[in-house]
Amino acid sequence: MSERIARLAAAMDRLYEFDREPVAPDKLQSGGKFAGLFAGEHVAATEFVIGAFFVLHGVGARDLLLGLLLGNLLAVLSWTFICAPIAVRTRLTLYWYLRKIAGPGVTLVYNIANAFLYCILAGAMISVSATAVGLLFGIPVPKLDAVLPSSAGWILITVVLGAAFTTVAILGFAKLSRFAEVAAPWIFVVFVAGALAMLPRLGVTPDLGNLWDVATTQIWNGVAAAGQEKFGFWHVLSFAWFCNLAMHVGLSDMALFRYAKKWTYGLYSAFGMYPGHMLAWLASGVMVAAIGREMHPGLMAYEAVGIAGVAGVLFAGWTTANPTLYRAGLALQTVTPGWPRWKITLVAGTATTVLACFPVFFLKLLDYVAIYGIVLMPIGAIVFAEHWLFPLLKIEQYQAEKRGWTFNGAALAVWLGTLAVVFFLPLHLYFRWLPGWMIALVSYTALMAARRSK
Amino acid sequence: MKHSFLTRLTGWLSLVSLALCLAAALFYFLGRIPEATYKLTFLLASIAWFVLATGRKIAGKDGPAAG
Repeated sequence: MSERIARLAAAMDRLYEFDREPVAPDKLQSGGKFAGLFAGEHVAATEFVIGAFFVLHGVGARDLLLGLLLGNLLAVLSWTFICAPIAVRTRLTLYWYLRKIAGPGVTLVYNIANAFLYCILAGAMISVSATAVGLLFGIPVPKLDAVLPSSAGWILITVVLGAAFTTVAILGFAKLSRFAEVAAPWIFVVFVAGALAMLPRLGVTPDLGNLWDVATTQIWNGVAAAGQEKFGFWHVLSFAWFCNLAMHVGLSDMALFRYAKKWTYGLYSAFGMYPGHMLAWLASGVMVAAIGREMHPGLMAYEAVGIAGVAGVLFAGWTTANPTLYRAGLALQTVTPGWPRWKITLVAGTATTVLACFPVFFLKLLDYVAIYGIVLMPIGAIVFAEHWLFPLLKIEQYQAEKRGWTFNGAALAVWLGTLAVVFFLPLHLYFRWLPGWMIALVSYTALMAARRSK
Repeated sequence: MKHSFLTRLTGWLSLVSLALCLAAALFYFLGRIPEATYKLTFLLASIAWFVLATGRKIAGKDGPAAG
């Protein structure tokens, strides 16, 4: 067993070999690059769904605006004060830093968990695109409480799209990435223009005199749709904060920020948060209200922007599912040493396509985003503790690396233990990650301190 | 030099087409143009954006401006 893990770990190391060394000073990037990167990455297909769900969950206009302003600010500060400083000091990816801390075995488990979560996320993006393509063929979108595929037509459209996305990911990942760079600003324009064009339908006058009145009575009117839980300010704030939890508090974005000249470059994440996770969410809220509060991203965009809107939803899903599929493939490749790139992308794409058939993943996207962040968050707490607290408390750092441990038992126990505790916490799903992070931080530090005293 | 000029030209024109997308929505909101005109203008400006922005990428990559 341990021999197999060692073999898998060695294969995994070879896969990530290209970024093993800390980033050299001449490879550091300007702040503008970070602003562009964040601006392009955070206007995705999921934005059509998240903003619309805030309307269906009966969020009030004031709660939404304040919640998004503060929640996104907290997300930006998390990148700036948690993720970027560790990345700039180590110049390593999370993969290599976690390996030093928790050992290759834990890193392997982390990769597999990450791959699975990526597949679900890419599946949700395919489902969103399917609502646009399905519109052209009259295929109905599953109802809000649907878990299983609602029709043969839905299965057909998701399978065809999944196959197309996977084929393109295999044949032309790099080309589609370049296409994504071109599409990103336009997709943002689809959101803004779509919302603007839908305002007259909601009764907003050209002088905007009744905008706030319409916003509070017809869009974010505080009335939840049938079967949907009522959300308030704290739900919105918490969601906006944890929406990219795996990236900032979970430290995945060390891969980006190791190229930053200064840790303050974390502030450039605001260029992704406020246009993508505020304006685009507000825009999709306007659009869903204007089509009678039906969760149908394709119809929303078609009614708002016409045929270009359908293309917008399709491209948004396609261009964001592509890197997600790539990352899932990269993570899965660790357990299939020797497999060529195309084969593992095919496996990830097939799994993603099957998941995309189940509408529950996009219809419960908000909950899924919360679970995704919670699952990976304890790893961020473990790394944070090891990086900042251990030197202060004079606990030896990087013991897994120094002693050649395959598994740092304390790290694995804290990860799994935190998830178990978080599962039973008597709090709303959206509020569990923060106490969970504290629990992971304190328990990992205590366990490693106890090991020292032994 | 030719590619550098092309990169700048296509860059500016692509920005104009993106602005046209937004302007069409704004004029429709203000009631100056009908819905069909807005949607057609948006579609054509979008096609122009993809052609020009892709052209800019290609010109930028091949030309001396790419560095």
